[in-house]
Amino acid sequence: MRKRVNLTGIAVLVFFLLLSVLISIRLTGLGSHFPNPVGGFLQSVLSPIEKSILQLGNEIKDNTKVIWNFREVQIENEALLKKVDQLTGDNLQLKEQVLAGMRFTELDQGQFRNPTLEKYEKVGASVIDRNSTSWYRTLTLNRGSKDGVAANDPVIGALGLIGKVISVSPTTSEALLILDGEGQVSALVRGSDGSGTFGIVQGNYKRGSRLTSDGNLQMLFRREDNVNAGDLVLTAGAGGVYPKDVPIGKVVEIQLDPTGLLKTAFIKPLVNFDSLEEAYIVKTAGGK
Amino acid sequence: MRYFLIVIMFLLSLVLPGTVFHFWSWSGIKPDLLMLFTIYIAMHHSLPSSVCWGLGAGLLEDLYLGRYIGMYTLTLALVAFFSYWLAERWYRENFILTTFMVFLVTAVGQILIAFLSLGTGLQWSLGDIAHLVMGISFYNAVLVPITYPLIHRSFLRGWLRYRPRYER
Repeated sequence: MRKRVNLTGIAVLVFFLLLSVLISIRLTGLGSHFPNPVGGFLQSVLSPIEKSILQLGNEIKDNTKVIWNFREVQIENEALLKKVDQLTGDNLQLKEQVLAGMRFTELDQGQFRNPTLEKYEKVGASVIDRNSTSWYRTLTLNRGSKDGVAANDPVIGALGLIGKVISVSPTTSEALLILDGEGQVSALVRGSDGSGTFGIVQGNYKRGSRLTSDGNLQMLFRREDNVNAGDLVLTAGAGGVYPKDVPIGKVVEIQLDPTGLLKTAFIKPLVNFDSLEEAYIVKTAGGK
Repeated sequence: MRYFLIVIMFLLSLVLPGTVFHFWSWSGIKPDLLMLFTIYIAMHHSLPSSVCWGLGAGLLEDLYLGRYIGMYTLTLALVAFFSYWLAERWYRENFILTTFMVFLVTAVGQILIAFLSLGTGLQWSLGDIAHLVMGISFYNAVLVPITYPLIHRSFLRGWLRYRPRYER
């Protein structure tokens, strides 16, 4: 005799299963603080393997760069030879301006060592994995909750802002880069006259063309706002995630909106995300 | 041995996209290896065990990624179901047909991920989603001629073959 199948029972079971999955997805989104001991164990087991593979890959890539990018290296070499000639000529002139140059360097370094960042504890971390899935631009760092890292802690490189921590395991943490469309940053553009214009920096990378290193951040402004190419973009400190005055990038291009009311500033990040190997996690979330 | 090997392949599927395929990505697009392996498993198992493997693989990925728990669990369970359903109707010895099937099932799986992500409030444009779905599906399909003959043979005659209790 054939077993009778209770279709209503199956439908109710499937419905509640789907409902619980959807609730779980909603509750465990980006930056949520839910305990994940199994994930933590997985990360701690797999992170040494990931680190070794990534290191090996980087070494192979660096050592075989000349083979894969022969034409590129040749062009780069010719350009560098021209530059050497030009730099030799400019050397005398530069010696005269050395004092002014020193002052500029002092100012440039001062931008990163700002008072808002100094008061937080920072922890150095190495990149052990990149973009675990194609859907997000993320980095996995080898510091986790054991080192005091918490979700929403900002991640900063030697030159400027990288992103924020979105999930943490005991030994690793995942950082969402500012290049990702989901990682918006409240920012201000500092003009050459010192004036500041506030706005939101957003990653404008299209999924599929994300590896283009140029102009992958953008900001919207009113037409009359005083923003020009070359202006420095810094974090505004609003929103509670990123500290104030951390450099983000430089405005490289301004485009007017077809309506004429708005303009878009394209920003080149100061950090080269493609070759990033180390970063600082600023403990703002847990260590305030 | 069979279960140990499957677990190792699951773990490799989690590790490789962020490491090896970081260097072999096409404009940032990488294969979804866990989805590919789930499809292979579903093609060589009964419906209940296919869905169970899909649920297990998905849960493993969700816990590994540490966010949106349930997204991959649901997706890979449905991917396993769909793969089983198609494999029942299509000739699984035909590698070209399998390549097309992997493309199709991966596309369905990735669309589901995109749909669930949009449901959680993420703002992705349809153009970006289409680009990414097609890219990942294509990459997974490209890997079929390299990986499927080995895996298929192993499921039929090798270490991955299911041995009933009386045979063990």
